[in-house]
Amino acid sequence: MSFFVKGILLEQKKEPMLTRSTLVMRQEFQYFDCDFMETPIDELSKEQIIEIARLAEIVDESDGKMLWEKLEKAELGEKGTLIVDAIDDEPYISSQMAIGIHHQEKFALGIELCEKVLAPAKTYIAMYKHIFDTNFSIPRKIGGYKVEKIGGRYPAENRAYRHIPKGRNSIVIGSCAMLHLARAAEDSRKMSSCFLTVAGDAVSNPRNVEVPVGTSVEEILRLCGLTEEPEVIVVGGSMTGRAIFEPENELVGPTTRGIVALSRSYNHSTYNCIGCGRCDHACPKALSVSTMRKLAEFGKFDELRNYDAAQCIGCGACSYVCPARIDIAATIIKAKKQMELAKKEGTL
Amino acid sequence: MTEKLMFQNAPHVRQSESVRTMMTDVVIALLPIYLMGFFYYGARALMLGLCGVLSCVGFSAIGSLALREKFSFDLTPVITGLIIPLLMPADIRYFVIIAACAVAIFVVKVPFGGTGNNLFNPAAVGFASAAICWPGMVFSYPAPIQSLEIFGESATKIAQSPAYSLALGAVPEYEVLDMVLGNVPGPMGATNIFVAAACGIFLIVRKAVNWITPASFIIPYALLSAFFPRIEASSFDSLCYELFSGTVIFGAFFMLSEPVTSPKRDFGKFLAGITSAAAVFLFRYFGGFEMGFASALIVMNVFSPVFDRICEDILHVYRHKDSLLRKKEQNPEKEEKKEKAPALKIFKKAEKKAEIPEDEEIINVSLINTPGEELVPEEKEEPFEPEEKAEESEKEEAVQ
Repeated sequence: MSFFVKGILLEQKKEPMLTRSTLVMRQEFQYFDCDFMETPIDELSKEQIIEIARLAEIVDESDGKMLWEKLEKAELGEKGTLIVDAIDDEPYISSQMAIGIHHQEKFALGIELCEKVLAPAKTYIAMYKHIFDTNFSIPRKIGGYKVEKIGGRYPAENRAYRHIPKGRNSIVIGSCAMLHLARAAEDSRKMSSCFLTVAGDAVSNPRNVEVPVGTSVEEILRLCGLTEEPEVIVVGGSMTGRAIFEPENELVGPTTRGIVALSRSYNHSTYNCIGCGRCDHACPKALSVSTMRKLAEFGKFDELRNYDAAQCIGCGACSYVCPARIDIAATIIKAKKQMELAKKEGTL
Repeated sequence: MTEKLMFQNAPHVRQSESVRTMMTDVVIALLPIYLMGFFYYGARALMLGLCGVLSCVGFSAIGSLALREKFSFDLTPVITGLIIPLLMPADIRYFVIIAACAVAIFVVKVPFGGTGNNLFNPAAVGFASAAICWPGMVFSYPAPIQSLEIFGESATKIAQSPAYSLALGAVPEYEVLDMVLGNVPGPMGATNIFVAAACGIFLIVRKAVNWITPASFIIPYALLSAFFPRIEASSFDSLCYELFSGTVIFGAFFMLSEPVTSPKRDFGKFLAGITSAAAVFLFRYFGGFEMGFASALIVMNVFSPVFDRICEDILHVYRHKDSLLRKKEQNPEKEEKKEKAPALKIFKKAEKKAEIPEDEEIINVSLINTPGEELVPEEKEEPFEPEEKAEESEKEEAVQ
């Protein structure tokens, strides 16, 4: 179906954050108590590992759920797959990949503990391979676990979990959660920090940082330094994050993956849509984006429903490619929310 | 730090390519063709181009003044003004160019809302209207390689273009190599096939033009002219004469591929290319004028929303293939029965909500930073009828 769905190839701009070591902000660690503190790690049982994850309050950064709940509920069966999410296909962001590369031993230990609980038939680490602007090569194995290089165009994260054969269950766990699980099992340390990428052309020392949960964005930017006053500060990924106005009041959480400070905002639209159809080809869900944008602008929601607007995942690929710099994704996402509201009220 | 902060919507990185760069590429690709016009006909060729550009830009400024909008300069009227003189003979009077530009801007572009909203290709409509009003001037060409006077009218109008002799059913008296090099009388910019094709390939490499459009137009057109020759010659000769006369190659790269009036998707562009090849062939085969391309293009512009709709219908099935397959596996008998009672519908909805597909347990799908949001498989609400919709849209087109 590549005739219809082309996707986009993004400049990844992951250097120098990916190869530099992680910068750790000073913090006080918190510890927890439990009955099986003395048990060696090899002899921990399934229930004990789940108990450790519960006591350490580990949050999976890939979807914001509690890790112990995910481990407890998961029923992989005989043919199940455990996928460790270290994809990071958005430009600038490399916080999940960097953990797999710079903290290999603890990362592998975390995977081993998860394997013990879930007993999957297959385990692999997913990483995005199309990083052309660097000499860094992704290792084939990390701590004995196979690294599956996810190719393809943006958004790869959406596509990566779909090539699992049918009838097989799978569970996706983020790589930061693995590291926190290993730390909790070894040192009985609570999860009190999160991993972020601080990048952008206004940052003087772009790096991956480990900061306590609840640090303000201003503090993190001060840690890395600014070369000039940024016009845009983005929390989250550079493709799907949101621009913020009050960096001193904006606190980072476990699911925050990056902070991008840009010295210039992009040039806003001065053109009409010329109908080149690039947004249609960029859409990973094969939606007719150009028609949907027109319908969304005029508020024709009942027609928009026929175009499967509910399937939009908000990846922003359409806005990226638009040569007229129209905010296509924002328009469609807004219309989608209005549609859901209207559906609840029963007017649609 | 907070003083300069600005708001912007989600993708915070954007492609460096913009409408301006795309349009600049087209203008750059048109300049060598003007240089060839200068080589064959002297400085008058350049003056015609300047006249076209100035009148198109001036008319669009007047149009936006009349509509009380702010005039924002973009390069689309420049392109229109550059293409129109290239379709005409080099000794055309200036007022014909100005009239064609006026039609292109005031009839096709401004009333529909300016750049990006025109229904037809402005250059094609401008040229076609000029050809209808002054056929004597537009279809009689000066012999090439002579320097024409910049102002005034030259008296030597003897030569006939190969397209005219083809329309009469006679074999053109020119060599094929001369036709490829542009050493035959004809439209100022379209005779030199080599330069036009090279500029078109430049546009394809720069991605201002999708390669599918010219390829799906030129290849079927060549096949059609080889199998149904108008003249008594071998099929290869017929192919060469048909392809290299008139504005076929130039139009395929510069007019057919205009983004506003062509379909959006590759498959739609493919369909549009094939059908316009057939339309151009029919217009030249049965038409009265030697010009077939512009009129066929105007007709085919109407159908580009239809091709878009066909693509959308195919993709609708593609997007829903999982749920359609599952439905067939679960209850193949129920599909035939139609339930009309609303109470039953609600009951069915509740049933659907209760059952969660077991084989697709995807935990992390949402890409937006909203924690805890899961992608629940959408409910299908309306039965999909692709064929009927396509027919309806075609009917609507026909009514319009």
